Order: sequence, then C-alpha cells, then structure tokens
Amino acid sequence: MSLVMSGTSARKKTAPRNSRKKRSTFDTTLGRAVLQLLAVAVFFALWEAGVHAGYISAFLMGSPSGIFATFYKLILSGELLSDSWYTLFEAILGFIIGTIFGSLFGLALWYSVFVAKLVEPFIVAINSVPKIALAPIVVLWFGTGLISKVALAVSLTALVALIAAYQAAKDADVDLQSLMISMGADKHQVFWKAVVPSTLPSIIATFRINIGFGLVGAVVGEFISSQRGLGHMIFLASSLYDLNSVWVGLFTLMILGFVLYYVIDIIERTSLPWKQATTSHQVQV
Amino acid sequence: MPPKQVQLTVQNISKSFAGKGGDVNVLDDLSFTINERDFVSIIGPSGCGKTTIFNIIAGLLEPDGGTITYRGKEIESLRGRVGYMMQKDLLFPWRTVMGNVLLGLETRGVDQKEAEEKAREYLKQFGLAGFENAYPKTLSGGMRQRVALIRTLIMDPDILLLDEPFSALDYQTRLYLEGVLKDAVQTYNKTVILVTHDIDEAVALSKRVVVLSGRPARVKVVHEIDIEATSPITARNDVKFSTYFKTLCAELDIQTETTS
Ligand SMILES: Nc1ncnc2c1ncn2[C@@H]1O[C@H](COP(=O)(O)OP(=O)(O)OP(=O)(O)O)[C@@H](O)[C@H]1O
Ligand SMILES: [Mg+2]
Repeated sequence: MSLVMSGTSARKKTAPRNSRKKRSTFDTTLGRAVLQLLAVAVFFALWEAGVHAGYISAFLMGSPSGIFATFYKLILSGELLSDSWYTLFEAILGFIIGTIFGSLFGLALWYSVFVAKLVEPFIVAINSVPKIALAPIVVLWFGTGLISKVALAVSLTALVALIAAYQAAKDADVDLQSLMISMGADKHQVFWKAVVPSTLPSIIATFRINIGFGLVGAVVGEFISSQRGLGHMIFLASSLYDLNSVWVGLFTLMILGFVLYYVIDIIERTSLPWKQATTSHQVQV
Repeated sequence: MPPKQVQLTVQNISKSFAGKGGDVNVLDDLSFTINERDFVSIIGPSGCGKTTIFNIIAGLLEPDGGTITYRGKEIESLRGRVGYMMQKDLLFPWRTVMGNVLLGLETRGVDQKEAEEKAREYLKQFGLAGFENAYPKTLSGGMRQRVALIRTLIMDPDILLLDEPFSALDYQTRLYLEGVLKDAVQTYNKTVILVTHDIDEAVALSKRVVVLSGRPARVKVVHEIDIEATSPITARNDVKFSTYFKTLCAELDIQTETTS
C-alpha cells in the first residue's frame, strides 16, 4: 500500500512532464477512496435489497439494517468496545511476545552453526503442526483467562518470526561481514553491526503476517472457552442464530486487522528510513 | 633516496579450494615483498587468485602453507591493521555516509565525538561535505567509492589493500579518483597494494607492477615503474608510459599489434 501511495505523490510532482501517460481523474487518493466507499455501499445496498426481495434469508445471512442496529446497540451498551479491547490486548500481547522471542532466538542461531543445524529439524517439525490444533491443550494448561489466548497467539507468531529471522541472518551479506572482520571486529560486533541491521527488513516484514496470526490466536482461544472478547461474542451469537451480532463481531475484527496493518506500515516506514529512498517508487509499466 | 625497507613479505603461500572435480590449486608457492611506502600493482588473468591473496593477508582466509612476515615479525595475518577495499564498494545500506565512514572507528571503540570530527575532515577533503546524512543508495558510483576510500583511510591502516576499486566506474570518474587516491596516499604516507585489470591504471599509479601467471598464481615478473609524475594524468603523458604499457601487455599475452 505504501508503494502505491508514495508512488502517486512522486508522480504528482512530475505530472506536467509525465503527461504522456494518461491518468483518469479517479486515480488520486481521494478518487480511489470515493470508489472504494462506493463499492462498499453498493455491496450493502444489494444485500439489503436481496433480503427485502426475499432472495436472501435474513435468518441465515443477517441483513445490513439489522447489523447496523445491533452495532449501534452494542456500542451504546459498551459491550463492543470492551470486547474489542480485550481481544486486541490479547492479540497485541501475543504478537509482541511471540515476535520478540522468535526473532531473538532466530537471530541467536546465527552464532552457532552447530546449534542451528542441531535444532533445525525440531523447528521444522514443530512448525509443521497446525498450531490451531494446540488450542484445546493450551486452554487446559493455561486456563480460560487471558493467558491461554496470549499463549495461543505466541505459539502462532513465534515460529514465523524465528524462521524469518534465522533465514535473514543466514542470508546476511557475507562480504559486509568479511569487511568488518578485516577491520578487526569481533563476532559480537559483526552480529550487531552487520547481521542484525540486515535482517531488520525481513523481521519487520513478518510483523504484517504475525499481527494477523495474533488475532487468530486470540479469537480461536476465545471460541474454545472464555467470558469475554470478540471471539466469545461471535461464538455465543452464532449458537443463538443471532447472525447480525456475528457480523458485527466479524466486521469489528476486520476493522481491527485493518488498523493494525496500517500501524505496522507506519512502523516499517519509520524504522527503515534507508529503504524509503529507493523502494517507494514502483516501476511504471 | 633512503634505502628501501621491506614492510611485508609474503613467502611460499599456497592455497587450494575444494572444487567439484577435486581440489583447485589457486596459489602455489607465491612470494613477493612490499616495501615501506610502496605502491605496488598486481595484475594477472581473471581468476588467478588475486582476491584470494588479499583475503589471506587480511585474515579472512587461512593459507594452506607459507608465511607472512611484517616488519621483521612473522604474523598470522594483518587483520585489524589493513584497510581492505573490496571489489564491491560494500557500503552498509542502512548507514548514512557518516555512519559508513565511522564503521571502523566504532569497532575500534574510538570516542564518538572525536571520530565524527575526524570523519568531517575527511569528507570535506574528499568533496563530500554536506552528504553526511545521505544514504548510499542516493549517491553516484564515484561518490560511493570515495566514501569507501575514506572508510578505509580513516582507520589509519598500515597497508591499503585495494581490490579493483575503480573497475565499475566510467573512465572520467576513474581518472579523477586515481588522482584522489594518489594524493591521499601521499598525504597520509600509506603503503598500497592495488589489484587491477587495467594496465593503464597500474602503470600510471604504481612504483612497481607485479605480473602474475594464470592459476596457480606465481609471480611472472616484477616491473619497476620509473615515472616521476605528480598525477596519474600527467603520468600517462610520460615518454616511458607507452613502453611500460606495451611490455606489460606482452607479459599478459595481450596482442598490441594486429597481425594480418
Ligand atoms: N571460497 C572459495 N571456494 C572455492 N573456490 C574459490 C573460493 N574463492 C575463490 N575461489 C576460486 O579461486 C580462484 C581465484 O579466485 P580469486 O577471486 O582470487 O580470483 P581473482 O584473481 O581475484 O579474479 P578476478 O580478477 O576475476 O577478481 C577462482 O577460480 C575461484 O573460483
Ligand atoms: Mg578478484
């Protein structure tokens, strides 16, 4: 997304000279936003019309008017906000713990090729287990409260971060490391000044995937057993055939994921300023 | 002229790499000496082992046999004491120009303020003042090489190992940087070993040219270059220049005259 957006601002500056390439009036940030909102509005309008005309079952699918009414009600009662906060907290906490520990462990494997080779099959084996399948035991071990959801989110995110960090550390430019060694740097200096910085883009790239996994962990944990959170709300509502509440929960999760994605985007841009100078321009074909 | 003192002696160095079809003998019994404040160019066919020699001197590779003697003492390698400029400029993309220049001093633990002051001096001298906070990607090839050269010089190394530092640059930039290098070497009293494919560059810059044979590398011949010129450009106008050039071409089996 950042690519497209900074691409436009760059093109705007050179617009007069670049005019041989035709751009429609909608191809601006505002124009696209209008189109996107329009698409959403049309989608809901068709849905609502379908329900009224009797083509779509409000009982099985819910209806936009019902969803908005439920949304309004849940916001007023404060339930939606508190459930959202709870899920968000679990997801972010799991994401942070999982990413930090996974990345640190992955990076540390750079230090010893022997240890890395030793643990590699175990990592592959653990990674090949669908972590969601762990959910029932995680709840058994950590109870029905916050900790089990965080633990589930950690189990989903840590290995992704670990594998990405380890791979990036292995791929770090050998020549840069050699150069440092010729300067008399020791292994720690090579690690901190050459290896770690060159792994940062890959590690930060996993944030995007992992923030989603954090939400998955939190919600699945809540499905299994909990008294709070969006997962709990969705689970409860669907067992009562309250489809409108289910949709409210789903759309709220969507909004959370959406916002988190852009937060990561900002983190990425501010923490890797040296990448911006070059990668923000998508090649125009 | 004071008598020449030997600074570095490389003796009977051998090195082979394990290849697909058995071991590849890259260096076999290679010996040469470098004098104090020498400027030696090493030329030889591609893949003959020039970079390998540098890697051994810099302590990045261990030789299979042979000795390195530095100022009368036998040593393992010159790790930490050489300024090694590799075939690529190898600037750290996440570091600014200033950050790149400071890399060596940081690893050495020099006081940050002192180091920055020194760096600013160098940057100014090399025409890079004002680019302290630029990232390498935004610089031209010639500027990048200058940054790499400063990064090498600022460490005040005993010997500069320059592995085809200018090979990726256009001719004008190369001529300019050759001048910059020659001046810097004079100002800071450095010993230089330069690997190059460019015979022209070798003659214009060095006091001596070592010609290597193909794999396994051996010293074929060493030419003293007796050109008293102040800059690499005037050196190219010297009467003796073309003679040296032709001799070295012949040495490398490059045909200089077309035979019909
Ligand atoms: N780490 C390595 N493992 C295996 N073979 C190697 C290794 N490093 C170098 N070689 C081989 O040793 C030979 C000499 O390599 P080297 O890089 O020293 O050549 P060079 O003289 O610097 O060549 P060029 O002028 O093209 O840079 C080459 O044939 C190369 O394939
Ligand atoms: Mg080489």
